[in-house]
Amino acid sequence: MGGHAPVTNDPDADEVYFQYEDIDQQQESYVVGMWAFLVTEVMFFGALFLMYAIYRWKWHTDFYLVHKQLDWQLGGLNTFVLLISSFCVAMAVHYAQLKKPKQQLICLGITLACAFGFLGIKTIEYSSKFEHNLFPNHSFVYADHKVTSYGMEKKDVTGRAAGVEHAKKVKKPQEGDPNRARLFLSLYFAMTGLHGLHVVIGILVIGTLMIMIARKSPLITDYVPTEMIGLYWHFVDLVWIFLYPLFYLIPK
Amino acid sequence: MSATVIDGIQEAQQEPTQKNYLNADHTIASWLLTVDHKRIAIMYLIGVTFFFFLGSIAAAMIRVELTSPNGLFLTSETYNKTFTAHGVLMIFFFLIPAIPAVMGNFLLPLMIGARDLAFPKLNLLSWYLYMISGGFVLAAMILGGIDAGWTFYTPLSSIYSNTQITLALVGLFISGFSSIATGVNFIASIHKMRAPGMTWFRLPLYVWSHYATSIIIILGTPVVAITLLLVVFERVFAIGVFSPELGGDPVLFQHMFWFYSHPAVYIMVLPAMGIISEVISCFSRRRVFGYEFIAFSSIAIAGLGFLVWGHHMFISSQSVLQGVIFSLLSFLVAIPSAIKIFNWSLTMYKGSIHLRTPMLYALGFIGLFVIGGLTGLFLASVDTDVHLTGTYFIVAHFHYVMVGGTLLAFLAGIHFWWPKFFGVMYNEFWGKVSAVIVFLGFNFTFFPQFILGYLGMPRRYHMYYFAQEWQIYHVASTIGSGILGIGLILPACYLTASLIRGKKCSHNPWGAKGLEWEAAATPPVTENFTVMPIVREDPYDYDAIADSALYEEERKKGKKPALVGATDDEEKKD
Amino acid sequence: MAHESHSSGHSGGHAHVIPQSKLIATMGALTGLMLLTIFAAQVPYWFPAFAWLKDQHLLMNLIAIGIAFWKAWLVVSIFMGVKFATKLTRLFAIGGFVWFTLMFITMIDYFTRPWEPVKGWEAGNSSALPRNVARPE
Ligand code: HEM
Ligand SMILES: [Cu+2]
Repeated sequence: MGGHAPVTNDPDADEVYFQYEDIDQQQESYVVGMWAFLVTEVMFFGALFLMYAIYRWKWHTDFYLVHKQLDWQLGGLNTFVLLISSFCVAMAVHYAQLKKPKQQLICLGITLACAFGFLGIKTIEYSSKFEHNLFPNHSFVYADHKVTSYGMEKKDVTGRAAGVEHAKKVKKPQEGDPNRARLFLSLYFAMTGLHGLHVVIGILVIGTLMIMIARKSPLITDYVPTEMIGLYWHFVDLVWIFLYPLFYLIPK
Repeated sequence: MSATVIDGIQEAQQEPTQKNYLNADHTIASWLLTVDHKRIAIMYLIGVTFFFFLGSIAAAMIRVELTSPNGLFLTSETYNKTFTAHGVLMIFFFLIPAIPAVMGNFLLPLMIGARDLAFPKLNLLSWYLYMISGGFVLAAMILGGIDAGWTFYTPLSSIYSNTQITLALVGLFISGFSSIATGVNFIASIHKMRAPGMTWFRLPLYVWSHYATSIIIILGTPVVAITLLLVVFERVFAIGVFSPELGGDPVLFQHMFWFYSHPAVYIMVLPAMGIISEVISCFSRRRVFGYEFIAFSSIAIAGLGFLVWGHHMFISSQSVLQGVIFSLLSFLVAIPSAIKIFNWSLTMYKGSIHLRTPMLYALGFIGLFVIGGLTGLFLASVDTDVHLTGTYFIVAHFHYVMVGGTLLAFLAGIHFWWPKFFGVMYNEFWGKVSAVIVFLGFNFTFFPQFILGYLGMPRRYHMYYFAQEWQIYHVASTIGSGILGIGLILPACYLTASLIRGKKCSHNPWGAKGLEWEAAATPPVTENFTVMPIVREDPYDYDAIADSALYEEERKKGKKPALVGATDDEEKKD
Repeated sequence: MAHESHSSGHSGGHAHVIPQSKLIATMGALTGLMLLTIFAAQVPYWFPAFAWLKDQHLLMNLIAIGIAFWKAWLVVSIFMGVKFATKLTRLFAIGGFVWFTLMFITMIDYFTRPWEPVKGWEAGNSSALPRNVARPE
């Protein structure tokens, strides 16, 4: 790229931490470090996907029946929200490279808003699951069957009472084996929950970055911090790209 | 930057009075908030020594308990908690961090010619995470203990055990992040922080081994972290992914656990191999034989190590076909290990060998690692393993590789770089004595366990009244562990003593090669190098004749050596 | 080496700025693919003429996963800039995504568990192999 703002032509203007020789070494180290970190993230979620794959393969019919409890429209909306946020981060990096902090901040702001939006929609989804007792817990009830960790008690007195009470609120018929339902929902909550945790971390990081940019912090001399955080955020999007079809759009 | 670079080698012979990283600042805060990799390494040294000490107490309890076929003083429950404490402390808090976080932290920037690691704050964070996770695990042990073994197999750990497993697993999850932080830091540093002229093939083999280790850390640790986290979720929220009642599979836990934990044994042993390469070539005064082979075998081990995890599950009802596949693959992983052994042997061949303390430990390493590795092959073949698995044969196997391998290499490294760390020389006589005691005590302790295992003594049992004739082996093993204990207390004493009233050592007491000896002061200054070193030679550029002649001559004359550290005779005088 | 690849050694000198148009196009493609995957999944339910697709499990799964990988590729290569990045970055990116598939070796176990080469040792009621726990009733 051609013309730079004159400030950056002075090497002393770049803050370099003591361990580095120059700004290039610092940036390149950040890039390598970030990618190494992303590899750990890939492995982290990879293990969960493996688990999912095995159980999905083993219990595909039940998983198909249970997945109808999830709302694919809300999930789709969330996919789109994350997509926009991902795009905005990419744009933020673009503007950071062009040294346009105002546009950069706007893009990051939209990203942040999308992240909150994502969490909001997720909250709606989760709360409807909680309403129907469709989350892993010690008294999980599915289609009138009470399921505990130690086996299943079918329609015992208390379980039935609870089941009937829930049945009033149930919108969708609950089909499939209750045990597998619990397995499926366990995976759903574990994977989307950990993904949600990453979103929360992303919000904190992006928020911090925005404050630092707005305050013209000397720690942010160039686009690299934005790019690194962008990488992280794209990864969060990436995980969702797989989570969405695997949980919400299961074919029979 | 090219303007500032001059050759750092001559520059390194600094005045001994100069400030170094140890006396640069004396406040507690200057230690606890330091970002200096050398200080963090010393803090890690204190940490791992502490946990090693606790783990050893548990080991001693186990050994004493087993002297009688009916148990001596522990209830079965306490016994379970004791061996779990031993395993968890030793594996997660000593063997995994010991060499990378102590010596790697200290030496890596020095060896590659950098002022620090790429991310010094992350490095400090990693130490804090390590200590916090240690706190969690100790809390779990104090609040009632953990009894599921270091492997935490489900469903025992997830459903049936009522002990403090949740707390301990949270601790181990955190320690995973400590490990990852170190791994990321090393990778970025090795890629990007090398001094001018330090090409990949001029890196000391120690750095190569850390590179391979870091790769394993970043690829493996997240998997075990998530697995342990799921067990926590299972205990707290009853998510049940490993519960057979729900259609989950407890064996899946083992798959995911060993996907990390087999490579983890290489996290423990690869850095050890790196130390051995350095020590052997220095004390043989020879260039390492087959540098590329050793370097690439580290990488090969890192890769192949990920393909053999199923050999821990031959009788865990994994499928027969997969058992056979893993058996075959496990044989493969022995090849790169063997390459290293051959190369070290050939390095010594026709070398001019000096049996100083680190060299004694290194030789001990080679012997014990060969036995450990070969018995690994017995275990890697499905049919012998069916008989041997779950017995003391396993216990003996992994102690030969982990104690005989990692611990001995750790001691070799500590003795080799002690002068570099602190600028003082320990008592060489006691060093040699302790090396011999450790070697003998170790074999005394663990060789009988091969026999015991072959005879069928199951591991993790605390009584064997059904086969009283095994007592003799157990008693032998316990006596041996006493000897081993003495061998380990000795270094603790004379090394500490050397800090207080040890002889100041010369700049490069072993006449060793490498930036950390030749271009940095002893002990190094805060930012390592006063001038940026330029590397112009290949590593291990020893001259067998010239270097040794000098070395021996100085010794005989008994005069104040220029290159040699305090010799035996001198030490004895005071 | 750290310093080999530099041109002039100053801030941002070697950054590849991805043109705005390319980012927008990628965004468009990703949105399109998202709609496609939803459409593909719902088509059998929306249009009776395609109801037969409901039974094409493999095909439907392949479509869903294929699209997901395509989207992932777009995000990794363009948004994350791997396509324009250094070889090293590419190595890490590809390495990470390839390595985690190794874990899927585990699937071999699950696929072949019932297979027993020794006659008479096959899974039976008394065997430990079938993992369904007998439940009361
Ligand atoms: C030469 C290559 C090696 C081979 C082929 C090998 C093979 C094996 C096998 C097959 C087992 C499982 C035995 C069983 O549970 O039935 C095993 C256990 C073990 N090995 Fe190795 N091994 C090798 C090197 C190492 C090294 C270098 C280390 C550590 C530094 C190590 C540490 C362990 C540990 C800790 C266990 C026991 C785990 C447990 O069940 O608690 N091995 N080894
Ligand atoms: Cu193994």
